[in-house]
Amino acid sequence: MVEIMISIPVIFVTIFVGAILTYLIKLIMPKVEAYFALLVSAATSYMAFALPKTESIYKFNLGSFNLMWGNNEYSHLFAMLVAVLGFFVVLYSMDFMAGKVNLGFYYFNLLVSIGSMLGIVYSQDFLSLFIFWEIMTWSSFMLVIYAQDEKFSVGIKYFVFSAIGAYLLLTALVILYTNSGSFLLEDNINNFIYLSSQNQILVIIFLIIGFGVKAAMMPFHVWAPDAYKAAPSSFTALFSGALSKMGIFGIGLVLFKFAIQNTDYFTYFQFALAWLGGITALLSTFYAVFQTDAKKLLAYSSIGQLGYIIVGLAVGTPLSIMSALLLTILHGAFKAMLFMSAGAVYYRTGLLDMNETRGLIRKMPLTFLTALMGIITVAGVPPLGGFVSKWMLYEALIQSNYYFLVIIIFVASTAAFLYLYRFIFSLFLGQEEKEFENVKEVPIKMIIPMLLLAGFTLAVGVVPGFVLEQISKAMGYLGIQTPNWENSVLFSNWENSSVNLMSVATSIGILFVLGAIFLTIKNYRSTRYVTTKDIHTSGEVPTENENLTFAVNFYQPFERSLGSVIKPSIDRIFNLIGKNIESAADYLRYIYTGNGQTYAMYVILFFVVLILFADLMFGFKF
Amino acid sequence: MDSFWMKILGFVITPLVAFAVGVTYGGIVRKITARIQNRVGPPIYQNLLDITKLYSKKTAVNHGVMQHLGPVFAITASVTSLFFVPVLRDSSFWFNLSFDGDLIFLLYMMVFGSLGMALGAGQTGNPNSAIGVSRGLALMVGYEIPFVLSLVALMIQFQTTSIHGLLAVQDTFSSWIIFQSPFATIAGILAFLGMMHYAPFDVPFAPAEVASGPASEFGGKYLALMMTSGSIFTFVKLVLFVNIYFGGAEDLLTLILKTFILYMIPVLTGIVNPRYRTEQAIQFFWKWPTVFGIIAILIVVL
Repeated sequence: MVEIMISIPVIFVTIFVGAILTYLIKLIMPKVEAYFALLVSAATSYMAFALPKTESIYKFNLGSFNLMWGNNEYSHLFAMLVAVLGFFVVLYSMDFMAGKVNLGFYYFNLLVSIGSMLGIVYSQDFLSLFIFWEIMTWSSFMLVIYAQDEKFSVGIKYFVFSAIGAYLLLTALVILYTNSGSFLLEDNINNFIYLSSQNQILVIIFLIIGFGVKAAMMPFHVWAPDAYKAAPSSFTALFSGALSKMGIFGIGLVLFKFAIQNTDYFTYFQFALAWLGGITALLSTFYAVFQTDAKKLLAYSSIGQLGYIIVGLAVGTPLSIMSALLLTILHGAFKAMLFMSAGAVYYRTGLLDMNETRGLIRKMPLTFLTALMGIITVAGVPPLGGFVSKWMLYEALIQSNYYFLVIIIFVASTAAFLYLYRFIFSLFLGQEEKEFENVKEVPIKMIIPMLLLAGFTLAVGVVPGFVLEQISKAMGYLGIQTPNWENSVLFSNWENSSVNLMSVATSIGILFVLGAIFLTIKNYRSTRYVTTKDIHTSGEVPTENENLTFAVNFYQPFERSLGSVIKPSIDRIFNLIGKNIESAADYLRYIYTGNGQTYAMYVILFFVVLILFADLMFGFKF
Repeated sequence: MDSFWMKILGFVITPLVAFAVGVTYGGIVRKITARIQNRVGPPIYQNLLDITKLYSKKTAVNHGVMQHLGPVFAITASVTSLFFVPVLRDSSFWFNLSFDGDLIFLLYMMVFGSLGMALGAGQTGNPNSAIGVSRGLALMVGYEIPFVLSLVALMIQFQTTSIHGLLAVQDTFSSWIIFQSPFATIAGILAFLGMMHYAPFDVPFAPAEVASGPASEFGGKYLALMMTSGSIFTFVKLVLFVNIYFGGAEDLLTLILKTFILYMIPVLTGIVNPRYRTEQAIQFFWKWPTVFGIIAILIVVL
């Protein structure tokens, strides 16, 4: 038997060749391709787990460029996220996508996007990072436009934003390359200090925007809600859960490997980025409250949560970075749970409009449980994992002079309760309608990933140690001192400011079980179930078809209280940004003619410009 | 193992005391309300009678598992929050788990019960319940802002996020926080008005508009457990505020005196006030209380 060494090239070969084979298998033997895709992603995920850290470095030359792939602790953290979520999404897709058209295309792009994400985190040089970044953009773009019923402009919007991001990245990379003469990350980090201060700032801004576009950081978030909605729910889980985290991966690298070297301006970067993250969190939360489409609501929620992560990274204290990285992992889990449960509802009812869906809890109890644990995690209520990251973020912010940012984050997370309740209420609670009488629970292959992720959020809430261990190693790679942590106790720098999660979980667990037992066995025989039509209506008997659901304009009072001041101005800002960017994007279509010749000319023009202005811009002569 | 059994005893006694105090306060409030409205009013143990009656009811109906479990969420949150609040200042008997959690944890723990109740109320399918929940959540965004401003001001000023830390501060300076940072206290107390859901902020439960809102479909053992939890929760909030702003208490008598006076603020405000509309109630908190909170932080920072 041939022993296959687990190394990065083997992983890439497995997933990319596997993707092509999946596509081919679909052509020859339909219905098998889903199992094959599952096999490929399982193998990839297993290898990503088993891949030895630090020593597995793979160097090679491409033309005159030295390229390097390797696995370090920071990469490993993100690779875990991609591997686990990727596998779960493929598993979920098997039933979710069954019977849809173009399945070979779907699985091909799904696997390629998983592979390219792994490529991004394993890249130790900017060139392969950029190539994988583009593969990721392409494959996700393909899946955004996969559902033909959506407008094509959604995909274009996503693509144009990605392209802007990519060009900024490329420009930054060129500046870095002219400085260091190498694409290797290590060389660039070491030589960064020799760039002129002006170029340093330029590089940092370009890189942060380039990565920030994928993380849907405001004001570059415009593509996100539509793209998340347009993609199939199964892919949206990966899109929001893992793909957007590649932006976070990049921002983390930029901040703590590059920006931190520019001691004069680092605090300004931190400040600007932290406030940008805070505003992203607040505005997108308010915007999520007024959505009527379940997936758009989750999309805005996702933008907001990434805002928290950016705040955590930008504030830059050990505790805040730990909270940001923990939230990165957790967000992958809970947003996948929420998108998957929304997808499950869509799978059974074909609806995502929250004004129409209702009362599915008794039909789909396990999906409800997933959604419930998902919203508890997002809300940050103990004993689930969201609390751990929220608590760390608050403690970190309070202790590091961002006093008003704390308030903004607090308000955002309180307002999050509104949209979270709206989400779960509209889909699962409320009146049970005849329309949904025959709805059944989704198949087991969709349930398994949802419940496993739910279990993960519970585990993080009680013993976060098993995640914090990898996170603190990743922080070690970024060169940040690790804050105090124990398996299930949270500490901050201030005396007495700690939370013992074990006693929290014990107290909640014991009381909950006791209460549930008491309520259940007390008068067990005379407790009975009545339908949702049998309710207190002050003596009036509702007729058979009377609509007793409260769903439309769910937060009208809240909307009113935001009043003449805040609400319109949020709208105005959004519309203004949206319109301007959209019209700018329209102009871009003149550039994107779709003609290969034109593109070739652009490439040449780019180099001409580069050569002409290299001296001026970067102080470099060809 | 003496201390171990003392600890267990603490876990048992504390909720009982909390319940007794909370339920008595409830009765007293009904009496006071009645006297102000020129009625005789029920005896002060009326709430206890009500709860006993409800527990002894034979039948109970529910609309599904989530409603069945809603009150369990509530009682879990109330008692757990109680365990994490130091009831008396220097007596370890009443500390329970209060060294294992801090203020930020408590803020989130206290939401746990409301969340469960909201979900339970949602499953009933009663439109009034859903309206009540939507109002309650919106109101929460209202009062949370001044409350958090106030707490953050205190946390920055005294460099602690734990209740024990705040108590120690009031001990060393031997003056209550109300005197040390009056603006934070004002913001906190104004937020407290909203938190207690008495008029003019009783929008989520408005009996005349939404038929008691979230509670309207709960009866028998469910309502009984909810009222039990409500009584304990009232006590938790009162003790928390006494600890934060009014120096805590060293013995039960002082505690009862302080909590009672504090409790009378929302109660007496409520009796003489009509009800706000929801948006008015929310906007109330975003005006002066928020201004006070911001002033409190600015004073600390500058």
